[in-house]
Amino acid sequence: MDWKKIGLVSAALVLATTAATACGNNNNASEEASSSPAQSSSASSSGGDEIVDVEVWGTNIGYKPVEKGSKLYEFYKEKLGVGVINPYVEWNGGTNYLNQLNLKIAANEMPDMFTPQQGIEDSLAKNGAIADLTDLLPKYAPNVMKVIPEEMWDIVKANDPTGQGRIYYIPGSVDYGRYAGMIRQDWLDKLNLSMPQTQDEYVKVLEAFRDQDPNGNGQKDEIPTGGRQEARWMDHLFAMYGVAMFEGYPDWDLYNGELTYSAVTPNMKAALEFAAKLYKEGLLDPETLLNDKAKWDGKVNSDKAGNYFHWVEQNNLYLENLQKNTGVQGRFSVLPVQKVDGYEGFYTWKRVGPPQWVVKNTKDEKKLQAVLKLLNNMYDKNNWKDLYLGVEGMHYEMKDGKAVKLPDDKSTQENQILNPYSSSATLDFTVDLFNSTASADNKWIYDQVTANMEEAQKYAKVIAGDGLPASIYEGYADINNRTLYIEYASKIIMGKYPIDKFDEFVDKWNKSGGEEVTKRAREWYSKVKK
Amino acid sequence: MAIPGIVFLIVFKYIPLAGAVIAFQDFSVFKGFTDSPWVGFKHFETLIDHPDFARVFGNTLMLGFLKLALVFPVPVLLALMINEIRKSALKKGVQTALYIPHFLSWVIVSGIVFDFFSLSGLFNIVIGWFGYDPTLVMQESGYFRIVYVITAIWRDAGWGTVVYMAAISAIDPQLYESAMIDGASKTRQIRHITFPLLLPTVLVLFLLEIGNFLDLGFDHVFNLLTPMTYSVGDILDTYVFRTGIQQAQYSFATAVGLFQSVIGFILVFVFNKLSKKVSDGGLW
Amino acid sequence: MVTVFETRSEKAFVSTITVILILLSVVALIPLLSVIATSLSSKSAVDMNLVTLWPKQFTLDSWSYIVDRPDLWRSFALTLVTTVVGTVLALLLTALLAYPLSKSKNEFRWGAVLMIGVVIAMIFKAPIVPYFLTVREIGLYDNPLVLIVPHLLNPFNLIIMRTFFKQFSKELEEAAFLEGCGYFRMLFQFVLPLSKAVLATLALFYGVVLWNQFQHPLLFLQNPDWFPLQIKIRQFITDDNVIMSGAVSTADLNYNERTLRATTVLFAIIPIIAVYPFLQKYFVKGAMIGSVKG
Repeated sequence: MDWKKIGLVSAALVLATTAATACGNNNNASEEASSSPAQSSSASSSGGDEIVDVEVWGTNIGYKPVEKGSKLYEFYKEKLGVGVINPYVEWNGGTNYLNQLNLKIAANEMPDMFTPQQGIEDSLAKNGAIADLTDLLPKYAPNVMKVIPEEMWDIVKANDPTGQGRIYYIPGSVDYGRYAGMIRQDWLDKLNLSMPQTQDEYVKVLEAFRDQDPNGNGQKDEIPTGGRQEARWMDHLFAMYGVAMFEGYPDWDLYNGELTYSAVTPNMKAALEFAAKLYKEGLLDPETLLNDKAKWDGKVNSDKAGNYFHWVEQNNLYLENLQKNTGVQGRFSVLPVQKVDGYEGFYTWKRVGPPQWVVKNTKDEKKLQAVLKLLNNMYDKNNWKDLYLGVEGMHYEMKDGKAVKLPDDKSTQENQILNPYSSSATLDFTVDLFNSTASADNKWIYDQVTANMEEAQKYAKVIAGDGLPASIYEGYADINNRTLYIEYASKIIMGKYPIDKFDEFVDKWNKSGGEEVTKRAREWYSKVKK
Repeated sequence: MAIPGIVFLIVFKYIPLAGAVIAFQDFSVFKGFTDSPWVGFKHFETLIDHPDFARVFGNTLMLGFLKLALVFPVPVLLALMINEIRKSALKKGVQTALYIPHFLSWVIVSGIVFDFFSLSGLFNIVIGWFGYDPTLVMQESGYFRIVYVITAIWRDAGWGTVVYMAAISAIDPQLYESAMIDGASKTRQIRHITFPLLLPTVLVLFLLEIGNFLDLGFDHVFNLLTPMTYSVGDILDTYVFRTGIQQAQYSFATAVGLFQSVIGFILVFVFNKLSKKVSDGGLW
Repeated sequence: MVTVFETRSEKAFVSTITVILILLSVVALIPLLSVIATSLSSKSAVDMNLVTLWPKQFTLDSWSYIVDRPDLWRSFALTLVTTVVGTVLALLLTALLAYPLSKSKNEFRWGAVLMIGVVIAMIFKAPIVPYFLTVREIGLYDNPLVLIVPHLLNPFNLIIMRTFFKQFSKELEEAAFLEGCGYFRMLFQFVLPLSKAVLATLALFYGVVLWNQFQHPLLFLQNPDWFPLQIKIRQFITDDNVIMSGAVSTADLNYNERTLRATTVLFAIIPIIAVYPFLQKYFVKGAMIGSVKG
């Protein structure tokens, strides 16, 4: 074996590859790499209405990608005047999406427009990788400014990581309270109970659910109330104590006049104590801390659970499944926030959603204009119904003159990546949607849902921490992940830890970064509420 | 002859491995390898200084030790046992059945495990017959290690027998024949022929297992873990996933990976030297 | 042929072992039964968590949905081709490196150093960003070849093959050399044909990895036409945390995501399970023996 030759060849290979790799790593802050794979090859001369293709990345939970020339592509092109390409990037809880996004950026191929994750927009803005939208939006995409209220833009400006009050992202927004506890009205009726208003009444109702066989099958298999793993999705138990909580995650609100993380307040302590009591007495599903979505929903859908917490507007899914599984035509009502002496309860409402879109900072004027045009047309409310419906035959069909959405089919349906009706949801639009797609068969469902949606507004309150940026957690991943809270909350509810352990939790939380994070949050708050 | 293989290793292993330097940087995808600032051992310090490090590292060691002591020998035993079966059809059937679990992903297997231990699951039904109260095993930290070991065996022991079966098939049948003529019983045959000749293979696999000592299979632990069992189940990999990978903290994740690999490598080195003294085996 | 003497205690010994193994096999099959049951149950039964080991409200709807998907079949065919081609090439490449590595110091000076290198390659895992960039640089991004090329050599398998080669009979090699045999001929004409057991083992190892791969296509493939089976299956696993407004009910369908997931999992497993019984014939005692005598 001629080692000299081998050595030289290997060395050459190593050098060549390293050089090539190094070249690919160039700083791409404001350099134009324009390597969007399916670029439109139409003439580059500036024409008024030529279609420019842009690559858009966002949530995709398994649908087909939108490729050049595909049905959805053509639909978007016709409706919005821009060619939208959405490659298939597996979401996987956002982890894989973020990873792929980072790899693309490392390879100098940032998409033209995308949904940021885990606060990546901050480093993107600081590195000049995403466009400063402050002046661009009002000029070229005024619809976006219109749909999202002024106060939210103020928050976005306050969140500018460069500290200059510029707008770097378009936030999501929800202009109505989405969440509430939902309780089986028909069970209440059957047991001759009135809707509980105070905590004591509530506990009595739960006991009745447990003992008096409201589902009428002769077995004591009812689960009065419950939730899911990580002590989530039972916010209604915490809401009555005024604990700011978003989908089971503690959040920030004013306690004693100061912005505080709800998990370390006396309100949380009281709420956990209450939850533990319910657990002990069999009023809270004993498998709560092990339930995943499918398991818990299954309990609601099999006529076993009497009270759950989720999006009011998705109650239709439960009603339909309940009927399909058991034949029961259930009735749900909004559970009012139960009164507890000494506490002001509410269902948390966050108006400012996480950043929805950022735009690549590109020197390619055509691309930039195309993206802005896309945003402008996307946020034109007149287009929302069509965007929601999608492509005829693929996403919806005409039934008796009405457009009805087809059931989910990941194998044939392309990802409806542009969903402003969801990211900037309004009560009117959603209610309207339901009313227009209801048929005679399921009118009973949608009547309930729309009534409940209106009812839920009574109890929703916007929390002070609305719009708090993820950057306050920088460097404290465990605080961001709520690892400590989840552990202690779970064990306290289960009864493994006595409630006194709570003080230990607060102490640990503060020491492992909570104190610093709180300081940052309060600084943000004083800046925003000037 | 070795060139294609070496080239492959260089391209797919060593060159990317050079990128592990990001463990010593504050790597950012914008700045790339050349412009990201150097921070020396900062990430390693962050890892070790974290209040949970002792717990996480301890759990990793403990589970690694259990894996080596309890899970590793099982395929060897199974292979020896399967070897004794006469009927070829039965032999094939058993082997196929035993290695099927390996093809189910941990997501699926853990789903089944959780169902098995749920209130309406088989476990609680059976212990109910004996008069015990139902227990939610998956949220009791006391059970975690047992569940880990048993699921590891359940899923992968059958698959592990494949290598040993191949090794056994390489043993000269004449040795068995002569032993039988001499009147040796089956157990003696196993002890004096099969096992000693299997030993070099066992040794090599043992060394490889040690090299991956701290690598307990992220998917395995992650899918069985609940917040209630963190105290014994949270390992380096799951910890890094929450704090490093989910938030694309590449430098930190790489630092932890390096930490694990270095320890694994040192262990292999030491045990390799030891194994050379015991037999002619060893990796180099 | 020597007659086999078996005492009564020996018979008992074998029987006990056989019974234990059968029991273990049954236990090992339980998860599979559960998956099969889910794929054959109605959506309601699964939704209400009623299904354990036996189908409830039996239905073939999930299967007919899956079998009707042309994209799944395409993926199946693609995965089959890449697995077969990849396995053959991998065995070749591995053998080419394992053989020199199995030689003693006098014949191959760099053996020990390379072995350390291989162990390092096995233990130390490259971080994802440099790996991604390297593979991209050599042109494998959005290229279906990425389903084969990165898997062609696995250090673990390499070490196993080398271990087997090391135990290869020295006399045989000396005999061949006397006949003027070079290394290549040696490998291909003598060593490999007599290493059926280890080749079958590694064919299984490489085959399974190729069949089940998802990391590489996830990172490097954009065109869904080239997606292997595992990626397709993952499309059926949704995210608990992603809630979209205006969600459409699927009450009319008789399958749901859980039944589809179980069905696709089975769809992907069945071929692999069927392979081992065929390979088993290579694990026959005395595969190497005939050679020395001859």
